[in-house]
Amino acid sequence: MRAVGTFVLLLASAIWFVPASVAQKGEHEPPCMQCHQPRDTTIDPVQFSHSVHATLDCTSCHTEGFSKFPHAGTRAGMPDCIDCHSGMVVSPTIDFDKIAQGVQASVHVKMVDPAFRCTNCHSPHYFIPASRMVDASVARSVANKSCLGCHAAGDTPAASDRAFEKLAEKHRLFPHWELHIQENACVACHTPRGEQTIHLILPKSEALRDCAACHGKNSLLATKLYTHLALKERAEHGWVNSMVFNNAYLTGAIRNRWLDWTTLGLAGLVLLGVAAHGLGRLLFARFLRRRS
Amino acid sequence: MRRELGGYPLWLRVWHWGNAVLFVILLITGLSMHYSRPGPALGFRTDVLIHNTAGALLTLFYCLFLYGNLRLGNGRYYRIVAGDIEPGLLWQTRYYLWGIFVGSPHPYPHSEERKFNPLQKMFYLAVMYLLFPILAVTGWALLFPGRLPEAMFGVPGIGLWALAHTYIGYFVSLFMVIHVYLGTTGSTPGALFRFMWSGDTGRPEPAPTVPRPGLGDRPGDHDAVPVTTTKEHI
Repeated sequence: MRAVGTFVLLLASAIWFVPASVAQKGEHEPPCMQCHQPRDTTIDPVQFSHSVHATLDCTSCHTEGFSKFPHAGTRAGMPDCIDCHSGMVVSPTIDFDKIAQGVQASVHVKMVDPAFRCTNCHSPHYFIPASRMVDASVARSVANKSCLGCHAAGDTPAASDRAFEKLAEKHRLFPHWELHIQENACVACHTPRGEQTIHLILPKSEALRDCAACHGKNSLLATKLYTHLALKERAEHGWVNSMVFNNAYLTGAIRNRWLDWTTLGLAGLVLLGVAAHGLGRLLFARFLRRRS
Repeated sequence: MRRELGGYPLWLRVWHWGNAVLFVILLITGLSMHYSRPGPALGFRTDVLIHNTAGALLTLFYCLFLYGNLRLGNGRYYRIVAGDIEPGLLWQTRYYLWGIFVGSPHPYPHSEERKFNPLQKMFYLAVMYLLFPILAVTGWALLFPGRLPEAMFGVPGIGLWALAHTYIGYFVSLFMVIHVYLGTTGSTPGALFRFMWSGDTGRPEPAPTVPRPGLGDRPGDHDAVPVTTTKEHI
């Protein structure tokens, strides 16, 4: 009986001391975490467990030269994301081959670094697709953080803040420009209009300046950036979806077609009534004149 | 002398036409924003700037209107008096639906004491003291979108304010269409427009009156109503 109690205690202790991420994966977990305990590694296991790649073994990406210690492999020798993602089409906006083409044509590859990689912007350990985020504001914030990581970088938090302010001030052409900076995804305007890609980053001189691209019918916010939310809200909220879409309001983009048709119909009736009344007055006046 | 016949003072005419021009600008730019489509760069932004400026000016004009009503005596024309509701609304409606066609005398002709007929008064009260203030408050609020509540009644706060602003603006626009049309119901189609422009009724002397018992319940209005064949009410 005492032996059984000791065994249960030992088993409970073993479970207690196994890191959560390892415990969840059981036998399939490679031995990496035996050395890279949370306290020793730069990867946050909790954040990693929420990422889109959480089900993968470390060696799925850390391939050549990472299976033995000391590691002979280098980052440069690791496969590129597209090696796995090629041919994957998740949605019209997430077609990985098109994304790769977009990146190749972007200002990042053409003018910054020919070897610009997905991981320059997207953390493979923590990446969560926008469709799995709570709402568009979180998706926007995460996406913008990627851009600001370089474009508003500073050695200290204060320097980063100054860099951000300098960057933000370049957007003064917008009415309520501070709000636009906070509430808008950089890629909404800094990618080609009319195309669903958000990876073909344009030079700043070619950035979209037509407000109606967002503030208009078929707003690119619904057709390019947050398509999953547009579909979800339409399913959940039915005809009022256009008012609550994206949990925001955009003049011109967020209209309710039933309200619009009702008001247009009402305007038509008023104009028709006025025209009929005026015509009636005219005809009666003629009739009365003839009679007299 | 003609001013005493019920003409409009200069401040009122400036307010009226300024109001009209600003409202048309607001309507055009408002519709342009509401139905905006991708087009010339910064077209939407221009609409926004014009709309905001015209809106702010219209608020100033509204202050002039309030001042004129409170201090310059114009407010008395908006006061509902006995007989306005019953039988005023009925009589005026009947006039617009039938009397106006057959040349009946106007039941409430223009005078120094009464510039608005009962129906007109009700509409003006609703538009100027209810709808317009809502339009102005929501319009100003939308100039500071960052300070509006994030959510109200389960929908985005800014959306609710914008919705009220847009559709109340729409109803006031419809009122304006009717208002302009009724402007053609003077002795000639252009008479009332000229009157509103010059402030001059164009009448050389007060209209004669004939007894007409029961027209209204306001003392002094019971038995003497000006007879006119003009339909000079907007």
